[in-house]
Amino acid sequence: MNWKPALLPVAIAAFAPVGAHAKVYLSVEQAQQVMFGNAPMSLSPVVLTGDQQDQLHAASSVSLKFDGHRVWKVAGGGWFVVDEVVGKHETITYAVGIDAAGKVKDIEILEYLESYGYEVADASWRKQFVGKGADAPLKLGRDIENIGGATLSSKHITDGVKRVLTLYDLVLKHVA
Amino acid sequence: MKTRRAIRSCAAGLLGLTLASAALAGEGVFGFVYTLDLQPKGKFEFEQRVDTTHGQAVGSYNLTMLRSELEYGLTNDLQIAGYLNAVRVESNNNYLSPETCTTIPCTAGFGVPSSRNTQDPYNRKRIDGASAEIVWRITNPVTSPVGVGLYFEPTYGQLEDELEYRLLLQSNFLDDRLIFVLNPLVEQEKEKYAGDGQIIRNTMLDLLYGASYRFADNWSAGIEGRWHHDSDGYFYNTHTQTANFIGPSVHYAAKDFWTTLTWRRQISGRCYADGTADCSLGKVWDNHGRNQYVLKVGIPLN
Repeated sequence: MNWKPALLPVAIAAFAPVGAHAKVYLSVEQAQQVMFGNAPMSLSPVVLTGDQQDQLHAASSVSLKFDGHRVWKVAGGGWFVVDEVVGKHETITYAVGIDAAGKVKDIEILEYLESYGYEVADASWRKQFVGKGADAPLKLGRDIENIGGATLSSKHITDGVKRVLTLYDLVLKHVA
Repeated sequence: MKTRRAIRSCAAGLLGLTLASAALAGEGVFGFVYTLDLQPKGKFEFEQRVDTTHGQAVGSYNLTMLRSELEYGLTNDLQIAGYLNAVRVESNNNYLSPETCTTIPCTAGFGVPSSRNTQDPYNRKRIDGASAEIVWRITNPVTSPVGVGLYFEPTYGQLEDELEYRLLLQSNFLDDRLIFVLNPLVEQEKEKYAGDGQIIRNTMLDLLYGASYRFADNWSAGIEGRWHHDSDGYFYNTHTQTANFIGPSVHYAAKDFWTTLTWRRQISGRCYADGTADCSLGKVWDNHGRNQYVLKVGIPLN
């Protein structure tokens, strides 16, 4: 049966854009403004030892090495940290604001480039992290609710926030 | 003749319409091994698969199967799908078995009617039939040490009818970039192409296995294999074939589409009992070849 001509337009139609979901939600500067308003902040890169990287991994299970070049100290207390975790296809870039008491002030998704799972950027899901400290379990399905159909993104962001809070506990809170 | 042509045109058009209204299928990092990556609830995916088996004992043999699939997430852990299947068989003096050939070599193999076991080439392409699929993910490998799922796929075709059952087992490591998958598989087959109303009943028992690593954003590479067994009858009545296949896979995925290319090679094969007609040169032929290639493309639709 010569069905190829019928398939050709179908294939073309099938490859037509059907909904480009990739999103850059906020720039780093916009996220800083959202979390800390006009409070001055200074870039304060941290260089972690191998042992500290291992401790972050043990606490969070995130296997990617933490890049300490995107850490800001907020005047009056508090920290702003940009981090990346593994997404379904690409990395998910997010920011964590930590208040002067070492608790999560807010988290923001900066860049998300996946087919599904955009609910991780919803305020209703992100607000679960507010007030959590390094001593919080931060486990998906325990103190953080999973998003059905976006389990991988939900888990990795949850693990990532745990890693940032562990970084605060290990390093940042000791910085003068 | 005009009537046949009209029927063919209608069927092709129907296939086209079906595909045009279809969506896409779950992302597969392997060509043959199935993972527990399912469509989220309410999401559609369209997948097109081209599967070519190339080369048998001698001569030429190409078995190309095309599958156009639409997947849908009924829930986040329950997925259904429908397929339209097309097949092309090109066979020419590819068999050496005296049980099959009156004169060696002869034209034979899966899809070639027994009456055509001569020195003449055999070529045929057609829309073969349809399949359905249901997958239930019992545990998710992202949140459990071992993800477990059940898979069932009935097929109706002109060449054969099948009932396929798989157990899907998957473990993820390194932020879910490294995955290991096992698919124990049972398939009951009713082959109908032999001619003269002859029916061949088979049971296939396979173990498919694979490992894949996401080595860069969007890109994964892996290896997958198949430990294959065939038996006469629907319930493993008589063991007839064993073969081993292995090869590499490469996978690219982005937000709007994904694609996977896999090559696997038959490294050994043996036949037993009535199956010896399908073996020569230390390989199993039948619907197998020296090499098999799969290209899959998936497109999320909503």
